Amino acid sequence: MDVFATNFRAIDWVIVCVYICIPVVIGIIVRRYIRQLSDFIVAGRSLKLFIAIATLTGTELGLVTVMYNSELGFLHGLSAFHVGIIETLCILAIGLTGFIVYKLRQLRIMTIPEFYEMRFGRNVRIVGGIILALGGILNMGLFLQAGARFMMGVTGYSNPAGLKLFMSVMLIMVLVYTVLGGMVSVVINDFIQFVVLSFGMLFGSFFAIAKVGWGNLFKAPPGVDSVSWFNPVSEGSGFGSLYVIFMVVLTFSAGALWQSGTLRALSAKTPKVAKQLYAWSSISYLARRVIPMLWGVCAYIFVSQTPRLLEAFQGQGALNSQFGMPIFIAKVLPSGFLGLIAAGMFAAFMSTHDSYLLSWSSVITQDIIAPLKKGRISDKGRLLITRICIVGIGIFLLIWGLWFEAPVSLWNYMAVTGTIYLAGAFTVVTAGLYWKKASKTGAKIALYAGLLAILGIGPWTTRENVPFYLSDKFIGVLTFVVAFLGMVLGSLLFPDKAEKEEAER
Amino acid sequence: MNWELLWKGLLIFTLSGYFLLVIIVIIGGTRNIADMLRDLAKPPEQDQAE
Repeated sequence: MDVFATNFRAIDWVIVCVYICIPVVIGIIVRRYIRQLSDFIVAGRSLKLFIAIATLTGTELGLVTVMYNSELGFLHGLSAFHVGIIETLCILAIGLTGFIVYKLRQLRIMTIPEFYEMRFGRNVRIVGGIILALGGILNMGLFLQAGARFMMGVTGYSNPAGLKLFMSVMLIMVLVYTVLGGMVSVVINDFIQFVVLSFGMLFGSFFAIAKVGWGNLFKAPPGVDSVSWFNPVSEGSGFGSLYVIFMVVLTFSAGALWQSGTLRALSAKTPKVAKQLYAWSSISYLARRVIPMLWGVCAYIFVSQTPRLLEAFQGQGALNSQFGMPIFIAKVLPSGFLGLIAAGMFAAFMSTHDSYLLSWSSVITQDIIAPLKKGRISDKGRLLITRICIVGIGIFLLIWGLWFEAPVSLWNYMAVTGTIYLAGAFTVVTAGLYWKKASKTGAKIALYAGLLAILGIGPWTTRENVPFYLSDKFIGVLTFVVAFLGMVLGSLLFPDKAEKEEAER
Repeated sequence: MNWELLWKGLLIFTLSGYFLLVIIVIIGGTRNIADMLRDLAKPPEQDQAE
């Protein structure tokens, strides 16, 4: 069997082309609703519960999500499911308690660094904004690459130039409609993506399970250790206890404070809706993990049964493991349905991209440039800067995606780059909201501590037998610990002036 | 711990739970979009205060 053989036919191309025009048309139509920056960034804070769920899921369930989760399933088998359970419980806990999100929505802010200024002053906001933008943009650095790999695998386009071609075309499409519509078009498109992609994934799962067989799904494939296929804390699973701890801290902090997700909570009509949004969305968070992982698991079982494919993924010059799932569904899903899935995924890719572009560009405008200019920029000026930033970030993504190859799996790359921002942000926001003694110095130390996480994507992580202290999971956990200690010690040793005077009195 | 049983249960729960959620969100979300566009179309001074 040819590795890149596919059921993708002319009819599928037609479906993709028609489908991807829809978001652009919506972007143009809803332009008339954009009058001020808050309309552009938080949809005028008008989101009610169900549309907020759809748009949160639409953002968090993108093509990249499907790619990194399916890669985890492909590499680690059913043991990868533990990440889904951990994330779901964390999101549910946030939804039930309203931890962080309820208070943030009450404050009517548009970005997290806005809170930094409210609580710790302008300098902390600028530092926080820079670190958030750095971590966020690096985090989405491989989105284009992963998206292009999916399209290559599904369409069967194996020419090496395909990566550049797909990346360029996809980027242009995303930029056009994000710059035009802002959050209102994002919200409507997210809803359409939610519907199409959800049904696509549910039916796709049916085809995937039917292909490998329900019984085979719960047996370790030949040549794979049967314990580590199921057990995430067993040796050889590629995860281990430290990884599980890292996932708990990471997914909890990301659930509460990942800018694109939190933006949905901040766009909610009321603080109560923001809270409910998380409780309801815990199911979709579970689905966005488990269903793609299931596809990855099915892909590996399928590959292990086909010698030619197994050979392509092993040894020197092996295909990147991200190709596993797309190559599998290209052979399993029938033509027509495959086109719809590809179109849905591509549109989901656009919807995730636009949200992230909007998030990071609004952080640069609102939290770095505007505070530096001491707020002397008009709403119109801010809108223009936000749009310029979107294009600038887009160009960076193209360049980064073309030359950088992650030394770890796509998800681990995202976890580590996300930690750059999350370690500091989680500590600073939690302390800022719930601890009176939190000081500016403590906040700054915690934010800078996040930069430690960059070590987790260094070239040393690819070496054979990496010592545990150089592994991405250890560096990830360490970054959170250092940020926490930095906040506590910094606040106790260097309290804010007013706090100090009060203590002396 | 029976991992096989756990993952089997999780898979069934995810697929059926998500299917239900999708149906609920489609029904509720369509109504929400119409409301949102109506709110945004109003002149700013008429926007409802929270």
